[in-house]
Amino acid sequence: MKKAWSLLSLILVFILAMTGCSGQSADEASGVASKKGKTLTVWAWNTNVPVLKQAEKIYAKDHKGFKLKIQEISNNDMYPKLTTSLQGGGQGLPDIVLIEDTHIQGYLHNFPKAFVNLSKKGFDKEGEKFPSYKRELASRDGNMYGMPFDGGPAGVFYRTDYFKKAGINPDSIETWDDFIAAGKTLKQKTGIKFLSLDMNSDDPVYRLMLNQQGSFYFGDDNKPALASKESQTAMKMLKKLKDEGVASNVTGWDAWLSGVASGKVATAVSGSWMAGLIEQQAPKDKGKWGVFPLPAFEKGGNRAANIGGSAWTIPTASKNQDSAYDFLKFFSTTNKIQEIATKGGLFPTLNTVYTSPLFTEADDYFNNQKIWQIFANETKEIKAANYTGNYAIAKDEAVKAQSEILTSGKNIPTALKAAEKRLENRLSTKE
Amino acid sequence: MKRNVAFPYFFIAPAVLLFAVFTIYPVLSSLLLSFQKSTGGELIFTGLANYQRLFGDDIFIKALKNTFLILIIQVPIMIFLALVLANALNRKLLKLKGFFRTSFFLPAVTSLVAYAVLFSIMMQDDGIFNTAIHMLGLDSIPWLSHPVWAKISMILAMTWRWTGYNMVIFLAALQNLSDDIYEAAALDGAGKWQQFFHITIPQLKPVILFSTILSTIGTLQLFDEPMNLTKGGPADSTMTLGLYIYQNGFEYFDFGYASAIAYVVVILVAVLSFLQFKVTGED
Repeated sequence: MKKAWSLLSLILVFILAMTGCSGQSADEASGVASKKGKTLTVWAWNTNVPVLKQAEKIYAKDHKGFKLKIQEISNNDMYPKLTTSLQGGGQGLPDIVLIEDTHIQGYLHNFPKAFVNLSKKGFDKEGEKFPSYKRELASRDGNMYGMPFDGGPAGVFYRTDYFKKAGINPDSIETWDDFIAAGKTLKQKTGIKFLSLDMNSDDPVYRLMLNQQGSFYFGDDNKPALASKESQTAMKMLKKLKDEGVASNVTGWDAWLSGVASGKVATAVSGSWMAGLIEQQAPKDKGKWGVFPLPAFEKGGNRAANIGGSAWTIPTASKNQDSAYDFLKFFSTTNKIQEIATKGGLFPTLNTVYTSPLFTEADDYFNNQKIWQIFANETKEIKAANYTGNYAIAKDEAVKAQSEILTSGKNIPTALKAAEKRLENRLSTKE
Repeated sequence: MKRNVAFPYFFIAPAVLLFAVFTIYPVLSSLLLSFQKSTGGELIFTGLANYQRLFGDDIFIKALKNTFLILIIQVPIMIFLALVLANALNRKLLKLKGFFRTSFFLPAVTSLVAYAVLFSIMMQDDGIFNTAIHMLGLDSIPWLSHPVWAKISMILAMTWRWTGYNMVIFLAALQNLSDDIYEAAALDGAGKWQQFFHITIPQLKPVILFSTILSTIGTLQLFDEPMNLTKGGPADSTMTLGLYIYQNGFEYFDFGYASAIAYVVVILVAVLSFLQFKVTGED
């Protein structure tokens, strides 16, 4: 008995010692950074690394000894890591974190004190250089917590060689119905699939179609709107794409991307960032890809929508908040930096940069088409999507409804109403 | 004399320390978390609210059912296959033993994520699996997009990954069995299958129990396969407790609720292990 007690107390001592240690070492780590003063740690994913490195060089010219320590983390791994650190009271967080627009509101609502209020640092003035939808996405209660970076104006990426073979003129595709007709022709003449969709585990085209119609998972009142008229229209079109044999099923992002990059499908309905990905994944297909604007729901209808995009944040756990703010302000509002980002396939949302010749230049990978001009013109028309802090739960229910409609053949209004109900329940039990 | 008493503790200290920090501390802190809720970034106590929520949560119940369905089908198939393989590879007459043993064990060494991603690519509608099926003149199978097939795919993948691991455990145990018993049985006229069912299996009972408990625990925590193969779809048909815990914690920021589900898994593991001990008559 006595032994057991001494063992237990030994364990307790160790626990106390270790929890004490871990707190200290974290403080020490950030302390080192603040002593040097000019080394900032950044979390960002692969496509953002080249522009960060260029920006570091340019910024260091006026700021002697300035260095960035870039930790490349894929966007899928970023959120578990960020959430764990925030849950642990901010331990191990860097000075700068890149967060996708879809996720920012979730973090701002669940960790209201975790990010630096940029409006208080005077960013509102700079904020006007960004489209209003980007400002809204990075704000809470009228204050900005993120500096808008790239956007994802949507478009259709297509294989010019397949289209030529099938005799389809992409300019003639103005509506989703035209798109379906073109798909049937292409499949008939070439035997190649027109579009691949992840019908059971993701919903990017549905989201994009909602945004195109000025709607989203949530209405303006922040209440679930999965059964809205716009949502039903989007699902009907997705079902039509499938039923007419234009869209084929694929499961998972990796399989989707490899299908597009290997030329198994003729088109990809995606955001502007797809340009960089295609170029990276299929360098040998240079000259075979082109872009045309998103088809509208009816002739003359809205052809603008956004999918993806991100913003920079500064965690309040950072010891270098002022240096981080200064660097980010330089990064976000300097045309030159945003031009470098564009060349790397990231579409800037800083509106002062669109006058750059880059946006009227032909892109040699994309068959000398002026693809960036298409996206720049589209940006003005994009409406804000209401992601709210519950984006992930809503997406889970939307994907489920989509799967029921496309795979199990469930009635569209019934499936969407059931999904909306489930979402309402989940949100109310969570509160 | 006194010194001798303290000495062993000194040696086990590093292990105890690591255990305390990386096991006991998280276990206790997640227990605490399971009674809490995050509101506006602050954790507040809500008593048993998280546990009460479980009863009305359709997704949790579905995850529980899916997990048990996979457990009940996959674990017996895998244990039986592992036993048969171990027995075959233990034959004196078998050539290239080392090669076969290594080949069957190899899947257990591969990374969980890498193998799941590979299976997901092979199981696409136009993947290798369906190409092979076409060559046999059959219709393609919706491996990942049909509620039943998605579960079967999961079971196939898990069986590929884990059978070799259990086989090695059985193989080690088989090598401790004396040849005399088999010789005596053969003299009495027992065939190979009779020997397998009446000598090998009873003799290996403690090891089979060990493997079954480990596999049960592993299946209750099933995460990598649904995460990488199907994300729980189509329509939650491959949602497991492990995946639901992850989603609640890391995607919905609902750590209290995630911890409550985790504790349900703990209780299930304890109850199932106890039952397995009782049924097989071990003390």
